[in-house]
Amino acid sequence: MPARILLVEDTPTQAEIAKAMLRDGGHEIRHAETAGAALALALEWKPDAVLVDLVLPDFSGIELMRRLRAAQLEAAMIVLTAHGSVKTAVEAMQEGASDFILKPYTSARLRVTLDNALEKRELRQQLDVAKSQLGRGRFYGFVGASPPMQAIYRTIESVVSSRATVFVTGESGTGKELAAEALHQASPRAGRPFIALNCGAIPRDLLESELFGHVKGAFTGATDNRLGAARAADGGTLFLDEIGEMPAEMQVKLLRFVQSGVVTPLGGTKSEKVDVRLVCATHRDILAEVQAGRFREDLYYRIYVVPIELPPLRLRGEDAVLVARHLLGLYAREEGKAFSGFDAEAETAIRAYPWPGNVRQLQNVLRNAVVLHGGTLVTREMLPVLLLHESVAEPVPFTPARPTLEALTSRIEPLAASEKRLILQALEHTGQDVPRAAALLEINPSTIYRKLTAWKQAG
Amino acid sequence: MSALDPSVAGQLAEDLPPDVFRTIIATFEEDLTRLVQELQTAHESGDQNGYERAAHSLAGASAAVGAVGLEREARIAMDHRQPEAAATVLPRLVAEAKGALEALHALIH
Repeated sequence: MPARILLVEDTPTQAEIAKAMLRDGGHEIRHAETAGAALALALEWKPDAVLVDLVLPDFSGIELMRRLRAAQLEAAMIVLTAHGSVKTAVEAMQEGASDFILKPYTSARLRVTLDNALEKRELRQQLDVAKSQLGRGRFYGFVGASPPMQAIYRTIESVVSSRATVFVTGESGTGKELAAEALHQASPRAGRPFIALNCGAIPRDLLESELFGHVKGAFTGATDNRLGAARAADGGTLFLDEIGEMPAEMQVKLLRFVQSGVVTPLGGTKSEKVDVRLVCATHRDILAEVQAGRFREDLYYRIYVVPIELPPLRLRGEDAVLVARHLLGLYAREEGKAFSGFDAEAETAIRAYPWPGNVRQLQNVLRNAVVLHGGTLVTREMLPVLLLHESVAEPVPFTPARPTLEALTSRIEPLAASEKRLILQALEHTGQDVPRAAALLEINPSTIYRKLTAWKQAG
Repeated sequence: MSALDPSVAGQLAEDLPPDVFRTIIATFEEDLTRLVQELQTAHESGDQNGYERAAHSLAGASAAVGAVGLEREARIAMDHRQPEAAATVLPRLVAEAKGALEALHALIH
């Protein structure tokens, strides 16, 4: 295979012979007489292979290879030496030489050695590419090596340089914000802001101000100008989480923004053009929301450009254990505990459980185990009972109890107390996942946040 | 004893086109002239490092074309532990160089 060959040889006769021997291979050959010249040439020209004499006028061939490796040069390196000792060979190999040739050598020996080294280098490069595409256990904030996650990583990589809006779907706790962050971090916008806004967590009357900003005096309490998420994200990425919760009147304003890229702060008269890459997410079936008339169809078509559907943890095979190990290490460090892994039974339980709350539920379970227990291994007994029963292998849909009339009359309580009990039950069932609890109760997540704040204030 | 190792010099003459082989002999001759001059200058000025460096290059060039006698003398010169004085080694080395060149020219078809 024709390649770019850098020959580093200070004796003209030897250089002339090597060049003559390689002449028929179709290679492009350049020659340096000193290690310093070779270093400069290699870094600029990026050869496929370097043939290095060990004894050079300025510094040794071994030192040259060390410096080339330190500079991340991926060339195959072959040492040419008159000193055929094992010590020399071992030292050369330790510094990254693919092979070495004893002088004087025949043209056949030189060609075979060079071809082998080039082939080995190409195979290594192909392997690196394949590994990077297939076997990644980590990708930005994600942990997971399963095939569904590899597909997610590839999709994210393929769209990072585009400005197209990405629509991330998936059950709660599957990592929609991680996907948005990965899209930002892997993109040319990485050095610019990443601004996330949870549309379900903000009261509807504040959402416009949070998104587009406001001017002083725009409404009661607007004591200062506010930039808003869209302008704060200028040049970067704007992540609108739980966009399915966005009120209809805000959907119109968002559509206008998506179409024009122009922001007008609440109460302001001056518009401003911003450059943001929009990433939206929801745990809802957004098309069903469109069909039900709760989400604008025109907005849907504007933002549902590149869909990414994150798989639930139960469909990610061994990832549950990989994520669990990662989280255990993290929490053990944070909590100052000695945990270093799981015993076999605990791993089996983690593997078997369907994790309806996905990674967020796994986080809660492990945080709980680390905080409440000690030791080096997390055992089956440290895990919640819920995980250990086969009967819960399938998630039980949450349905509010339907008590009998008799039971009702004996348990009549203020409406507010019932409401609080039901909301807290739903939160407990979903592992404190507000959007999912809200979905089960068929209310807006902002209602839950508002109630929680009110109960807290009431003591 | 022959000045050349046929498994090296003969192989070169066989593997390479005649014009390329001639170019290599010409390059070797230039190297010889320069390196022998460097050896003599270094010896006269008492520059031991320069003397050993030139001898090392000469050994490498000689080995590459299979000039085994010249290579042997060059390796003696580059080894500072060997007992023979440079004044003894140098004339032998020059004679070997002359013999090697003649033998190489004889290989040109």
